[in-house]
Amino acid sequence: MNPVVCTSDDAAIVQRVTAIADGPLAQAAGRIDRDGHYPLEIMAALGAAGAFGAHLARGGERVGVALDAMRAISRRCGSTGFLTWCHDVCGLYMEQSGNPALNGAALDAHVAGRSFGGTALSNPMKALAGIEKLLLRAVKVPGGYRVSGALPWVSHIARGQYCGAMAGVYRDDGGLSHEILFLLRITDDVVLRPCPAFSGMEGTSTWGVRVDDCFVGDDALIADPARPFVARIRAAFVLLQAGMAMGVAQAGIDAMREVEPVLGHVNRFLDERPDALQGEFDELGARVAELAATPYDGSADYLLAVLDARVQGADLALRAAQSALLHQGARGYLASAAPQRLVREAQFVAIVTPAIKHLRWEMDRLCREELPA
Amino acid sequence: MTTENAPPWRQYLCRACGLIYDEALGDPDSGLAPGTRFEDIPDDWVCPLCGVMKADFEPCDAPGAQPQDDVPALAGAARRAAGVVVVGAGIAGWSAVQALRALDADVPITLVTACDGHRYHKPELSVAFGRGLAPQQLIREAGADAARRLGVALLADTFAVGLSPRLRQLRTTRGTLGYTKLVLAQGARAALPPPLSAALCWRVNDLAGWSGLHARLAGKTARVAIVGAGMIGCELAEDLAHAGHRVTLVDANAHPLSGLIPPALGARLADALRDAGIRYLGATRVESVERSERGDGTRAVRVATDAHGELEADEIVAAVGLVTPQRLARAAGLAFERGIVVDPRTMQTSAQHVYALGDCVSIGGAPCRFVEPIARQAAALAHHALQRAHDGYRHAAPVIRLKSRALPIVVHGAPVAQGVWDEPQRHGDGLTVRQWHDNRVVARLEARVVAPSPPGAARAAASPRPAHLEGA
Repeated sequence: MNPVVCTSDDAAIVQRVTAIADGPLAQAAGRIDRDGHYPLEIMAALGAAGAFGAHLARGGERVGVALDAMRAISRRCGSTGFLTWCHDVCGLYMEQSGNPALNGAALDAHVAGRSFGGTALSNPMKALAGIEKLLLRAVKVPGGYRVSGALPWVSHIARGQYCGAMAGVYRDDGGLSHEILFLLRITDDVVLRPCPAFSGMEGTSTWGVRVDDCFVGDDALIADPARPFVARIRAAFVLLQAGMAMGVAQAGIDAMREVEPVLGHVNRFLDERPDALQGEFDELGARVAELAATPYDGSADYLLAVLDARVQGADLALRAAQSALLHQGARGYLASAAPQRLVREAQFVAIVTPAIKHLRWEMDRLCREELPA
Repeated sequence: MTTENAPPWRQYLCRACGLIYDEALGDPDSGLAPGTRFEDIPDDWVCPLCGVMKADFEPCDAPGAQPQDDVPALAGAARRAAGVVVVGAGIAGWSAVQALRALDADVPITLVTACDGHRYHKPELSVAFGRGLAPQQLIREAGADAARRLGVALLADTFAVGLSPRLRQLRTTRGTLGYTKLVLAQGARAALPPPLSAALCWRVNDLAGWSGLHARLAGKTARVAIVGAGMIGCELAEDLAHAGHRVTLVDANAHPLSGLIPPALGARLADALRDAGIRYLGATRVESVERSERGDGTRAVRVATDAHGELEADEIVAAVGLVTPQRLARAAGLAFERGIVVDPRTMQTSAQHVYALGDCVSIGGAPCRFVEPIARQAAALAHHALQRAHDGYRHAAPVIRLKSRALPIVVHGAPVAQGVWDEPQRHGDGLTVRQWHDNRVVARLEARVVAPSPPGAARAAASPRPAHLEGA
């Protein structure tokens, strides 16, 4: 436990995190991306520096600080930025669960970067939006549930780690009763299946997960029923991803500026220039900072503003990464060049749940005027 | 292998990753020969791509797996050269488009609308039941046709979700639009103060809302409760009664049109509404509205009131006023005071290059939700936006007409809450009355008293289009 870190002042946290991001993380970015190195040693250092606790109630609900930290990390390595998001939302589930077994020593270790866990809520988020069906099934048994099913790809997990997961609880007649949210501990009962090679983000320890009648005790329950819980944390869940999007976008702008002294005379003929993108970046940053002040504002208008910012972040990351490549020209086309990694990272930001299309689907639902059925 | 009589090969979709298992091809890598029927696959087989189980596959021809026709997404080029973007395709939005196009045949215009963009005349919604009109008859021009005629890119079924005036960027549910000038014509929404809820109460504020209610009432005599006896509530009550429905009109004030007409005339209007077959319940507050199931399986709504106990109706309509949606304007930092604040000459908002007109604006701190000024607002706005000389819009309180058969009322000027009404003066079958405030006449009202027509008389005498509506 390291409560000192969680309560230390905002600038100090961001400064310590930035030092790690700009130092060892920047050094390792290529190895993480190319060789699939899962950077737990860096995640541990980031935890010790306070990167994973500011957004929690115990850290003063400083979502803006958590976002700044995630942005600094993602600017150097999108994969580690994604791990940070996974870790942050897992901490959020544990704390908000109100379950003493999850928010005591377990959360202390999680926040300090002594234990690690992610989130398997991609399928549930889509299921709750009506886009696909829930893949895990649960049956009530004394002292908990038994859960079965398979999830295609879950990140930031390994033996001895854990992730937030959701299952549908079915009645005897086969009908869906409700959903539960729980912490799935990756024990020997859980089958981890290697995923096919992705085109990026290989260092995020992403696995297919399969459970067969696996017991989930009350000590692992995050929310039962899950829906009210998800409704409460959904905006924070999505808003935190803006840190990832903005970090990648910033890296793209950095890469454009890097070649300005030598290539500026020709790059001025390109559509997207660093100053204009920086203007959009700053405008988005101000809006995200404002949204970060009230992460549990439950209104539809707030959620809509968060979804809008998240889409804009993904759009900006895509454009900045593409422009970075165009600005750097041949040197950006080298396999080892930053823009090559950035393009794949930005693509990931655009398709990771909630993807751009999923976000727009949700915004459409929120905007539609309800008429009597 | 398939024989002549065997059913055709089917395909199955992995719900997790989208991989398709094709029976014809099998999955040789995991030992399934081509021609292996899905039901013959062992239950422990998993998706070769993502590893979820056989049970997580579904037939590929299942509903939801088919591509759906949709509005085309924004092309990359549209995003850069959007020109003028107009948000909202009601009378205000289309008026702005028309005014802009009249001045400049070439300026690119994109119209973003949450509805399908069909052009209709909104005041007609207040008389359409009595005239026996169907939704299709109210459409004067299909949205796509109007867009073609006016050379406009129409983004229908699309919501504006974010606006950044500094970047000249409008974000929508179908992509981001840059603009040179933006025109907000989003209108106002029916207010739904508790206990009125969107799930139970109809609102007759646009064609979609009217059409929903129309579909529900078609072919039967229904009991309709209307909450709110303002202009819309009174007109709709009379229109529905005229069409043969049994209408109860509820208002918190003693008389209808409270605040707009003097109490004496309000009492007369209440009598006229009763003569038209409407049950008018004044000084009555709605305390709760609930869905109820009747014995025969049909649904009704139970409306609990403070003064008249519980009413049962087949449908309930909320007509307690309009509010301007704030989210987009507020998030963009536009000045907002009961509506989007505009310069009363140019219709420009507090943000450069952003204009607004129609029901969503506020002028002098008050909204102005009438049709008459919209064409003049559109002309002023179009000239300013395209930098053409123009005298500017001159705001004046529009003449208000209550489209009532029982007691047609015309109001000139703007009645105020603190004003004092004269005694009504009778001239033949007409009445006039003036309102005074600060030693001057602020409003003059004319009413004509006509003999009531029996309820339900309209169906036989329906004409396709009313001739006496307020003009746009």
